[in-house]
Amino acid sequence: MAVFQAALINEIEKLYKKKKIMVAIIISLSVIIIGQLIIVGMRTGFGLRGVGSVEFPILVLSVVVNTILPLFTALVAIDCFSSEFSNNMMRVTLTRPVSRFKIFSAKVTTIVFFILFNLFVLFVFSLLAGFLFNANSATAIGLFKIVISYGVSLIPMIVLALGIILLTNIFKNGTSVFFVSILGFLILKAGAVIFSQYSSLFITSQLDWYNLWLASSFPLNTIVNQLLIMLGYAIMFFTAGYYLFDKKEY
Amino acid sequence: MNKVIEIKELNKIYQNGRGIMDINLEIYEGDIFGFLGPNGAGKTTAMKIMTGLIAPDSGDVRIFGHSITEEYEQAMAGVGCIIEVAESFPFLSAYENLKQFSRYYPDVDDKRIDEVLELTGMIKFKHEKPKKFSLGMKQRLGLAAAIVSRPKILILDEPLNGLDVEGMIDIRKLILHLAEKERTTFFISSHLIHDVELTCDRIGVIYNGKMLNIDRTDNILQNYATLENYFVSEVERNGRVPSSTNQ
Repeated sequence: MAVFQAALINEIEKLYKKKKIMVAIIISLSVIIIGQLIIVGMRTGFGLRGVGSVEFPILVLSVVVNTILPLFTALVAIDCFSSEFSNNMMRVTLTRPVSRFKIFSAKVTTIVFFILFNLFVLFVFSLLAGFLFNANSATAIGLFKIVISYGVSLIPMIVLALGIILLTNIFKNGTSVFFVSILGFLILKAGAVIFSQYSSLFITSQLDWYNLWLASSFPLNTIVNQLLIMLGYAIMFFTAGYYLFDKKEY
Repeated sequence: MNKVIEIKELNKIYQNGRGIMDINLEIYEGDIFGFLGPNGAGKTTAMKIMTGLIAPDSGDVRIFGHSITEEYEQAMAGVGCIIEVAESFPFLSAYENLKQFSRYYPDVDDKRIDEVLELTGMIKFKHEKPKKFSLGMKQRLGLAAAIVSRPKILILDEPLNGLDVEGMIDIRKLILHLAEKERTTFFISSHLIHDVELTCDRIGVIYNGKMLNIDRTDNILQNYATLENYFVSEVERNGRVPSSTNQ
């Protein structure tokens, strides 16, 4: 466990020092500010209500889970794996008394922490923006729903990250991984529309699964069903990613 | 003497047909073993297998009795190495780079990091990032990273790459100092035969992926004027055999 902890601290330190987190915070804040300005503009200019304080964070989430969050996740996953492969940096880590499984797990955990952190930043700032501009519509149940929505959004993002990690272990350079990830994302999004009866099987559709948790009659069966599908994807992506990582020669 | 590295029937053939074949080798505690061979002979392949960077087709390497393929963490616990190029993270300072490696060893603290930076002449660049370093400085930092854990074995692939004359002398002194004071065992590959002659007490010659001969440096120098003469003689003698049989 001490070896895994050391590997994890090292990975977090590397991510922090590359200042990717700062960029993620700045862009996340920009999305929130732009979103809130649009709503204020609609309200004052056109007399439309827009969204209330508890609806604004959900609106932000619906935008970011399909845009900047997968984008940042892809960039961080590529940075953790492809960048180190291409610069021979992986040798520096691999020639220490730490198994490849622990290094792989530490990298995956770091990416999960990054997604969690990014969701947390979005949650806090979108909530603050919502309260600042429309405090009178706030309720405890509304707040609870926001927490649940942001919390459960972590799961499909982890599955997506594991899928991108698998790609980083298949393709040699980060640019290929980035473009294949974007292309794959768009194909899956289009596929979910064309083959709507199978859309629940597509990981890109599961990014919006937080909506299930907001339904007035709690769809337990659908939630369990989706959760198991995501778990299946996660196990397959992790296993395949680790297999390729373990077999790689440096 | 204690056997610290045991290489048994090691084979690794790449798709281009090159690689290493049936390498058998034993390294004993306190040895400064020089691994000589021309470019493409298989030195780096053997060293990469020894450090777990690539897997062998067959055979095994045991370090302190632990198999590198099956008990990697235990095998590498007492090993420091530089393979091909001394890499470091360019966005971390020299200190932060060493701190990263030190976390895997419970007894390595900041004092030890300063000590190795001092030993390798890098203390004044402690807070600078390697992206601004020259090749020689990167090599020194790589050496600092290799010795920071007080390893019992150092596996060094071309450790003098990029160093100027002063740097070469410093590193040679450091190797001899560690071998003498801390009984560190060295496994060194170098194309600088004169330097190997001055540093190593046992020599192994590899050619075309096969181990040709292993002997003590003093024995070699009794029969040959220089190590270079011995190396050329070994390579010519063994290298010509297969080509003459093919004709």
